[in-house]
Amino acid sequence: MSVDINNNGPLIRIEDVSKIYHQDKPDEVRALQNISLEFFPGEVVALTGPSGSGKSTLLSLIGCMARPTRGTIYLQDRRVSRLPESFLARIRRETYGFVFQQYHLLRDVSVLDNLMFPLYPAAIPFKTMRERALVLLAQFFLTDKQKTKVRQLSGGEQQRVALARALMADPPIIIADEPTAHLDAELSLELLNILAELNTEGRTLIIASHDPVMCQAPLISRRVALRHGELVDDNRDGAGL
Amino acid sequence: MILHPGILALLLGSILILLLLLVAGGVALRILRHWNADSGSATQLQLERQTWLVSTLLKYAFGFQIVTLFLFLFTLDEIHPLFVGAMCATGSLNANLVGWLVLLVKIGLVFAAAFWLAVNYLDQRTEDTPLVRIKYVTLLLLIPLVALDLWLQWEYFSGLRPQMITSCCGSLFSAEGEGVISTLAGLPVEQAMPLFFAVVLLYAVLLLASLRWRAMLLRTLLFVASVLLFFVSLAALVSFLSLYIYQMPSHQCPFDMLQGHYYYIGYPIYLGLFMATLFAMLPGLCRPLATTLSLDEELKSSEPVWLRLALFGLILFLVTSCWQMVFGPLILLGY
Amino acid sequence: MILNVKLLEYSLSSLWRRKEKNIALIIVYALVIATLGSVLLLTHALKTEAVTTLTAAPEIVVQRTQGGRHELIPVTYAETIAGFPGVGKVTPRVWGYYYDSLIKANLTLVGVEGYHEQLELLEGRFPQAADECVIGAGVAEAFGPQIGDLLVLEDSSKRRSEFRVTGIFRAASNLLTNDLVVLQEAALRDFFAMPAELATDLTVQVYNPREVSTIAKKIAYFLPDSRPITREELLHTYDSLFNWRSGMMLAVFISALMAFLILAWDRATGISAEEKREIGILKALGWETSHVLGAKLREALLISLTAFIVGLLLAWLHVFVLGAPLLMPLLKGWSVLFPTFDLTRVVDLYQLAVLGCVTIIPYLACTLIPAWKAASSDPDDVMRG
Repeated sequence: MSVDINNNGPLIRIEDVSKIYHQDKPDEVRALQNISLEFFPGEVVALTGPSGSGKSTLLSLIGCMARPTRGTIYLQDRRVSRLPESFLARIRRETYGFVFQQYHLLRDVSVLDNLMFPLYPAAIPFKTMRERALVLLAQFFLTDKQKTKVRQLSGGEQQRVALARALMADPPIIIADEPTAHLDAELSLELLNILAELNTEGRTLIIASHDPVMCQAPLISRRVALRHGELVDDNRDGAGL
Repeated sequence: MILHPGILALLLGSILILLLLLVAGGVALRILRHWNADSGSATQLQLERQTWLVSTLLKYAFGFQIVTLFLFLFTLDEIHPLFVGAMCATGSLNANLVGWLVLLVKIGLVFAAAFWLAVNYLDQRTEDTPLVRIKYVTLLLLIPLVALDLWLQWEYFSGLRPQMITSCCGSLFSAEGEGVISTLAGLPVEQAMPLFFAVVLLYAVLLLASLRWRAMLLRTLLFVASVLLFFVSLAALVSFLSLYIYQMPSHQCPFDMLQGHYYYIGYPIYLGLFMATLFAMLPGLCRPLATTLSLDEELKSSEPVWLRLALFGLILFLVTSCWQMVFGPLILLGY
Repeated sequence: MILNVKLLEYSLSSLWRRKEKNIALIIVYALVIATLGSVLLLTHALKTEAVTTLTAAPEIVVQRTQGGRHELIPVTYAETIAGFPGVGKVTPRVWGYYYDSLIKANLTLVGVEGYHEQLELLEGRFPQAADECVIGAGVAEAFGPQIGDLLVLEDSSKRRSEFRVTGIFRAASNLLTNDLVVLQEAALRDFFAMPAELATDLTVQVYNPREVSTIAKKIAYFLPDSRPITREELLHTYDSLFNWRSGMMLAVFISALMAFLILAWDRATGISAEEKREIGILKALGWETSHVLGAKLREALLISLTAFIVGLLLAWLHVFVLGAPLLMPLLKGWSVLFPTFDLTRVVDLYQLAVLGCVTIIPYLACTLIPAWKAASSDPDDVMRG
């Protein structure tokens, strides 16, 4: 495990981080500029801002999917901003659960395999992995769908599969990108309940959203606002923007 | 001569290996020029991804090299009826002496590629990859060796003239011959056998000691002992082990044992010897790298695995090569 | 270890999900392997056939040449040669070709005396009277007679001769006996109108194999108009001929392989959007470049091995069951050399190794770079949509 649960210091420390895509080329994009932030264990953070403000980029930096062009990122005491990609991949599968806007499930693959394939590189025996997947599917009322291909599931079911997949490695941090974008009001509420439950289990949640239902939800403990790749507000009291 | 199907396959294989290495070499040059581990630039990211391409290319080139080494020996055996006087692969090699050089270069390449892959494996497991420069400079040095292999093979096969009268293992490895090989083969069994077993014993003791203690000196000694083991074993194979394997008092060919008549016993023999040599050389060879902290950590976890693999190789080699000596009916030394 | 099994399982699942594309690829690949394999199997079988035949042949055959052409040899030469030290039996042989205009085939007529030791496998008995004969399986098939029937041949002066069939050859190697008609020597001399003091050639038995070349030199020295041919020389000639032929054809078919590899490269590079998406998702969720690469290369290996086995089976069926109908037209040279016959079904490890080297290694080498390209996508592509 790359995270020590008993450590009360900041979980993630971002120091003066910039991310520039296509650097020194005509189509250069400065997605993030000089961001400094700290996230603590057990927080539920909402990243807000209009589309193109750099929310997704910040999430991918936090989630170790990309490395910053400048600046440093620490996961607890470990400097992760300059690690080779293979180490980042390992941190991703051990530490983070991801829920994407488009779900990003493997459409032609069964629900069960969707949960297991991402964990294949981990040194977990096949049997243990399968047991864990079946427990999660039962929890999300998907037991009878385990052999079904994702293509044949409804939107709400796909959302639940995506959540179950994020929890496969029992990660301490959940990263969600616009999780309610494709859900109706009822399903959004259901999702909020699940997220609240995950938080009570001790997991840290970092959610990028511009959906008011999500941002104003009582479980959000902190709001971080971005605009044009810069930090404009960091509100820790749960008060409105 | 070149149009023999096996020779075509060999040349094709060597050309492909060279191509793989040239691609890897191109990447290596780019890495050597632009590598900057502290940079967050897209170029650096691109280079890091290309290191995976290089290690895969090298892994495959290594695999192909082993396959073509055996195919080479196999082909030598296959074409020997074309030469008057040749009774096995040795005869084909003698038909054009460049053949011995080809064999030497091929074996050298297998070892070199294995070392490179071992170092690469260590380096890729560390966060700071301290060996990038060394790795890619040595990679560039491997390319001329591969090209040499291809060229020598071409020279060998195009220089072969059917009907050429050559000498075979019987005369080459007999005591009357001249040169190093005959001298080795001519070693009386009474001297060769104790020498062989003394070296095996020395090697085994050092290996077990290295498993127990992590002293630098032990590893250096083991390195020397494994090189010694390799050559003494080859000599022993020619001088007396082959006699037991073939159950004939005068057949001293180191290649025939790879054939079906001898139940392919040569494959486990050479595989065992190769493993015993390679994996016992690695700890000594990689020891200077232990000065880097991250590599030292990796070495600590890899060394026991290597040493155990070497031990396994030694046992495999001893069991398969000495089996007939203990249980076979042929007796060279009358006690 | 677990990782290897899991990656393999993923590869299998991935191949299965794109089965239409992959089966098409395997079929084309297997056909290429079958073509190359047929060449190797056929030439090897022919070579084995020739070698089996020749091991039964005498150490030296002595012919006489006149004006550079093969002429009948005086029987007295046999006594001269038999006088050399180290020489065993010297036997004059009488044989010749006979063209039958009715079935348009060439037969080889031989006198039984020169062939006794070589031709053992026989159903029935050897001819004991002037009007008896033994025939090869090919002759029996073409003319239709069985043991006890009559074989009718016309000699040079168009005189009809009838021979009663007393036996048929069923040799392990058909090569030598297929087109054979064995008669008593006197009957054959009569048929060919050949004088009694001449023979077609002489066979020389040599006790010590090391002395063969010395004795051959001696014969050529003492009988300057003779041409001794040693068995070794024949073997070398066949060997070089077959190696050259198969190498030649292999070289031609390697171009077919190249065409296939271009196709394979194209297939491997143009991975589908869905596959690209899948790899992107797995990388985002924690797969390393090396894992994706490993899975992709396992796919290539699985495809190669499947195609190799299928292709090899096809080649085996083509050569040994169907008699290589697709290659025979290209082998005009051989069909002149040998009449049709069943090939001995031999496949040796060396042919497999060569076939594997020529087909699997290039394919794997070709898939390396496309596989790496597919594996080295940006993990955060998924996040940025």
